[in-house]
Amino acid sequence: MNLVAKNPMNKNAWLIVPAIVVILCFFIYPVSWLLIDSFARPKWGIQNYEVVLGRFVYLKVLLNTFTISAGTTFWCAVIGYPVAYTMAHCSKRTRRLLIFVVLIPFWTSLLVRTFAWMVLLQKTGLINQTLLTLGVIAEPIALIYNRIGVYIGMVQVLLPFLIFPLYSVMLRIDRNYSFAAATLGAPPVRNFFRIYLPLTLPGLVSGGTLVFVSSLGYYITPALLGGPADLMIAQLIERQISTSGNWGMAGALAVLLLVVTAICLGVVHRIIGVKTAWGR
Amino acid sequence: MTKDLEKLAAMIGRMSLSRRSVLGGAAAIGGLSMAAAMGRPFSAFADDLKGKTVTFASWGGAYQDSQKANYCDPLQQKTGVTVLQDGPMNESKFRTMVEAGDPVWDVVDVTHEFLFNGIQNNLFEKLDLSKIHADRITPAYRNDYGIGDIVWSYNIGYSTKVFTDGNHPKSWADVFDLKKFPGSRALNSDGPQATLEIALMADGVPMDQIYKVMATDEGVKRAYARLDTIRKDTIFWDTNSQSQQLFTDGEVSCGLILNGRAYDAANKGAPIAVEWNENIQSIDYLVIPKGSKNIEAAHALIDEMTVAENQAKLANEIAYAPTNPEAFKLIDAKVAPWLSTNPENASKGFVIDGQFWRDNLDKLKEGWEAWKVS
Amino acid sequence: MVASSFSSGRFWVRLRLAICSFAVIYLIAPLIVVLIISFSSAPFLTFPPPGFSMQWYNNLFTNPAWFNSLVTSIKILIPTSILATVLGTAAAYGLARSSFVGKQLVMGLLLSPMIVPVIIIAIGIFGVFRALGLYGNLLGLIIAHTILAIPYVVMTVSGSLAVIDKRLEDAALTLGASPLRCFRRITFPLIFPAVLSGMLFSMVVSFDELIVSMFISTPVVRPVTVQMWSNIRGSVDPTIAAIATLLFCFSLLALLSERAAARKVKKEVDE
Repeated sequence: MNLVAKNPMNKNAWLIVPAIVVILCFFIYPVSWLLIDSFARPKWGIQNYEVVLGRFVYLKVLLNTFTISAGTTFWCAVIGYPVAYTMAHCSKRTRRLLIFVVLIPFWTSLLVRTFAWMVLLQKTGLINQTLLTLGVIAEPIALIYNRIGVYIGMVQVLLPFLIFPLYSVMLRIDRNYSFAAATLGAPPVRNFFRIYLPLTLPGLVSGGTLVFVSSLGYYITPALLGGPADLMIAQLIERQISTSGNWGMAGALAVLLLVVTAICLGVVHRIIGVKTAWGR
Repeated sequence: MTKDLEKLAAMIGRMSLSRRSVLGGAAAIGGLSMAAAMGRPFSAFADDLKGKTVTFASWGGAYQDSQKANYCDPLQQKTGVTVLQDGPMNESKFRTMVEAGDPVWDVVDVTHEFLFNGIQNNLFEKLDLSKIHADRITPAYRNDYGIGDIVWSYNIGYSTKVFTDGNHPKSWADVFDLKKFPGSRALNSDGPQATLEIALMADGVPMDQIYKVMATDEGVKRAYARLDTIRKDTIFWDTNSQSQQLFTDGEVSCGLILNGRAYDAANKGAPIAVEWNENIQSIDYLVIPKGSKNIEAAHALIDEMTVAENQAKLANEIAYAPTNPEAFKLIDAKVAPWLSTNPENASKGFVIDGQFWRDNLDKLKEGWEAWKVS
Repeated sequence: MVASSFSSGRFWVRLRLAICSFAVIYLIAPLIVVLIISFSSAPFLTFPPPGFSMQWYNNLFTNPAWFNSLVTSIKILIPTSILATVLGTAAAYGLARSSFVGKQLVMGLLLSPMIVPVIIIAIGIFGVFRALGLYGNLLGLIIAHTILAIPYVVMTVSGSLAVIDKRLEDAALTLGASPLRCFRRITFPLIFPAVLSGMLFSMVVSFDELIVSMFISTPVVRPVTVQMWSNIRGSVDPTIAAIATLLFCFSLLALLSERAAARKVKKEVDE
């Protein structure tokens, strides 16, 4: 790069400053303040962490959070994989339609969708009524205020986060691989498990991580669709503040959530690496 | 935007894997944490409720709607004060607000037990009784910190669709009997008050022995053991409105509901009725949180709630009994059987022990939260 | 039979299509339900509704609690989207057209509000904003929403800056155009669709934000999502569905206008 071009280039860097200042003052600072609280309130020390890791209620909530996130990720993969595959290998029109459908969650408010599930899943709701009419069930089943409700709500919200990374990986796969395998006589199923799945694994892992990590911090969906036994960490953090004013505990739980999030992202990065995942 | 969204989704994926940006964020947080530790803000926040505004917090839904229409709106019309509605009321939230020194609420509708607990913990402003017509209220329902506004009860509610021909749960033992009376149950998620009492009644403790048994650890254990037998079939409501919704939607067949809420739901066409046997009676009071910045307007609002006509209108809408005896003359005949002050109803239950809950709420609430998530 | 189709792959194709159809219904169903319920004549969330009416839309505009919160949301949304767009676009441009050590870190910092769970941001902001007098007023909500919206603008604009032909800019600069002029005449028109969609994103983010708003709003200044939240947990009424429908129409409108702009730019570039 020549000198003439270089000078104005570095002036450009100043343009970042306002945004960074805003982020530092109103985002990083408040978050750090909270993290400090976990050690500073009510007094300096690690007493809050001892409580979090020592009391049944908190451990149960951590376990809930982990199980629900893992379950959500699993179901997103089961439903999302075939959808991404279809999206990547179908006609242009179908693809456009599918993209539109998958993006619908982005356009509808999370609160509103959860509200819609409340309507659909109740005992007298559409789903129970349909199943009753079809004779699949004899009595209405409980689909809400329990784990099932949480899964139904969360998988729907997070599905796009799994589908899109997977889809972009699938688009890049040279179909000749599979084609070559097929002409060599490999049956399609084996062909899929031997060749296609491993090739798309990076997409699956990155999408899965995204879903898992987002699930960890979920608040609205479990609060409205779950029961008391489905309490997740975000709800617990909210309660620490709004109903007991316990900033230290809220901070400790926040640290825990952040650390787990960072570890998940770090580990996955280690395993597959950005370059493989995104073919840059 | 579709394309951008697609790109965005992909980018989120990529970003999530970019360890450097994660570490970058973490490093920045670490660095700033130090700065934050040095200059932590301690000053109280600026008051934002300016002029003649008063915020009223109650229990949401039909009850608060009725309070708004019959207390707040008349005051607003008379004085030009703006009455803002908030809620639902939550004991811990109330406490946090007062302890932080910046209550958003100015007049709050609280229960009998919480009134005594709050007085002990210095959570309320002492009322200036020269500004309130306290003499309109039955003496048993008022003191220096709170003016009673309604008298109500916890009841067994049941679906008239599921249980017909008089064959419905008639005691808490029946409500806890899943074989005899099938279907999901409704219970209050908020706290152990009333719920432990009903569990003990279901376990065969006579009404006049409840608090004696509950004062012991074994008694509390006994209550939870009884609750365990139905917990899988129980839906816990967070707000009273939700309790109404559960019956309206047919989500539950029987369970705990407040008499006024049941009346309101039934009035709106829900298949619900209440059983008066083993009801637990309580009173709601109006209080001013310590540190409220609109004391004048708050007193005016409380005063408006002592007016007999206003109380009667509310009772006619939601079947919560008045505390101003004059109001009874204006109550519809069809509402009378739904009131917890009706002698026949009152004799079938007992009044919640404010003293007991004042002394034991904190301890028992902790156990309650643990039981709920277990 | 099953076994043979299993190995031939037909079974798998069918399974895949079945899952896809299920997914389509699963993703769309809530939206349809909300649309229908918003026209319900019943005060309860009965589905299907017993009849149709416009009463919930009516309620939205005649009930002061709903109407005021809607106005509050709009008062927050407009400054938020402008602020986030200006800050985000400037930062994205600065990042794309400069080179310095620690660029990755800066990028990470700009995008971090998207990675950190919202609940953590919410209570952090609650604690600090209360001390700064940014609690319970529009300014606080605008700042908080701007923070949450900046990453979306940075992402969309960065994406667009990465793909435009840099030789156009270089040519203009070598020919003596000032950097500002170059940006105004060359770069900005090219990235305009991305800037616009970043702005629309920030509008949607702001309009839809609940958790942070829940903490830093008071009954005096209360955005519509917080009003919805207290309503969902309180008495459930179909007014929520009416708002949702409006919100959806808003997103759709945003999408269409952004498309139109993108098409226009493309046409101009082609010419």
